[in-house]
Amino acid sequence: MVISSLFLVIPAISNISIRQISEMSISLSLSLVSFVLLLLAVFLGGTTLWRDIERRYTYSVLGLPISRSDYLLGRFFGVTLCLILASIVLSLGALIAITMVANAYPPDRPIMWLNIAMAFSFDTLKYILLVALAFLFSSISTSFFLPVFGTISFFWLGTVSQQVYDYLHSPLGAATSPVVRNAATLLYYVIPNFTPFNLKSQAIYSLNLSLNGVWLTSGYFVLLVTILLTLACTIFSRREFQ
Amino acid sequence: MKRWALLVPAVSLYFLLVPSLAHYLTTEHQKIAISFPATKNVLKAVSLDQGFLIGEYMVVKVITFFGGRSTPDAQPLKQGDYAIMYRNLDVATALDPYNNDAYYFAQATFSWEVGEFAGTNQLLEYGMKYRTWDHYLPYFVGFNYSYFLKDPSSAVKYYQKAAEISGDGLFMSLAGRNLYESGRTAEAMAYCKIMIDSTKNESIRRFLKKRFKALSAVRKIEQAREQFRTQSGIEPITIRQLSSSGLLKELPVDPYGGTFFIDNKGLVRTTSNFTEGWNKNGNKDKH
Repeated sequence: MVISSLFLVIPAISNISIRQISEMSISLSLSLVSFVLLLLAVFLGGTTLWRDIERRYTYSVLGLPISRSDYLLGRFFGVTLCLILASIVLSLGALIAITMVANAYPPDRPIMWLNIAMAFSFDTLKYILLVALAFLFSSISTSFFLPVFGTISFFWLGTVSQQVYDYLHSPLGAATSPVVRNAATLLYYVIPNFTPFNLKSQAIYSLNLSLNGVWLTSGYFVLLVTILLTLACTIFSRREFQ
Repeated sequence: MKRWALLVPAVSLYFLLVPSLAHYLTTEHQKIAISFPATKNVLKAVSLDQGFLIGEYMVVKVITFFGGRSTPDAQPLKQGDYAIMYRNLDVATALDPYNNDAYYFAQATFSWEVGEFAGTNQLLEYGMKYRTWDHYLPYFVGFNYSYFLKDPSSAVKYYQKAAEISGDGLFMSLAGRNLYESGRTAEAMAYCKIMIDSTKNESIRRFLKKRFKALSAVRKIEQAREQFRTQSGIEPITIRQLSSSGLLKELPVDPYGGTFFIDNKGLVRTTSNFTEGWNKNGNKDKH
């Protein structure tokens, strides 16, 4: 209810804009959906396994003829499905708000609906990746802190890592010591990079989408989720429960 | 064993893919310059993936602040307010370099109100790198060069760019025009008209309409002055001369509250200098 009322406010807020009312409605809609998905990813992804173990649901489930990996993957796909459904519902609400504003104030450049759909889709992929990361942390620690705060910290690191990488590979960054540069480059490879999933500028301002970027980001998502889940399953299978 | 069979090729492929992804992100994804001052970088870092939202918020904050101060009974804006507004727009465009409102607002206010042409042009030229389809930005830069900085040769380049993008002959004719003083007022009126027609925000429209009204008044006096020159062969010294000769039926009113006069170069001026916060002594109010 609260979220849907926020969608109703978007056309009113967009009217403050001088010349880009429709663009502002797209920007606000994308930000709202992204923020809700972030909360869902962190709190569902970071607390599902921890809560199950804490409440001893895990023991009864693992008493059934299923492996720990199956249990973890089942939980992961459950959260993912929840995230996808939330994303679809929120995106529909956003699309209604955007359509209302765009009909009242047609933008200078025609809206590229495919770009908006791609922005919502890649945002969802980004948060599925974040859930996979939260599951990896949950497989290591039973406490609330590591899965939740570890996920939030890595989300922040993964959002700024591209800026750091760009800086170090620019003329300004050439003066940085080679040790720092190599360490930062290594971290760039290890920390999930969330920047390529951000297609907001392409959606808001109807900029051309790079097909190359779409393929690379999709491949990156598949490989990284596979690696994170495999590691999470391996750790979770070997873990001792008290 | 099964897990290793999945993990090893996945990690190998991952390390093969990341350099291509890094190259794509550096060159294509969102070409935001990186040599920003610390505050911009800090804000970009803490805004996570909500940079566009924060950018929008900062622009809206500036617009509403300006809107609140541009009503007749509001406290006039101080010089320092403009500096803060400019800083906000500068940071906002670092977060959202495509934000049209930021560029439009900067042009509508900073160049006219505080004479901050260099800063405005710098912001607009930054925007031109991103909004490559938008003919307004090169037009604004061209106008600033032509009208304010009196540098038509620099203006031509930007008017030509605006003409190339829009395909509109108006910009080509501006590029080719030999600017003279009365032509400057006509040019400023055309500019104001373009600005008014392309905004939907009421406070900005009100602000621009006031300027248009002031320029129309100047244009009327200029036309009477030209007629006076043709008829009598001499330069008018005062506006009263134009009015007593019947060329100016009624004295145009300066909407900013000033009084029109002809300066020693023969140009029509006003004691308000078309600015808000002007007092009757001909100075800007000190707030």
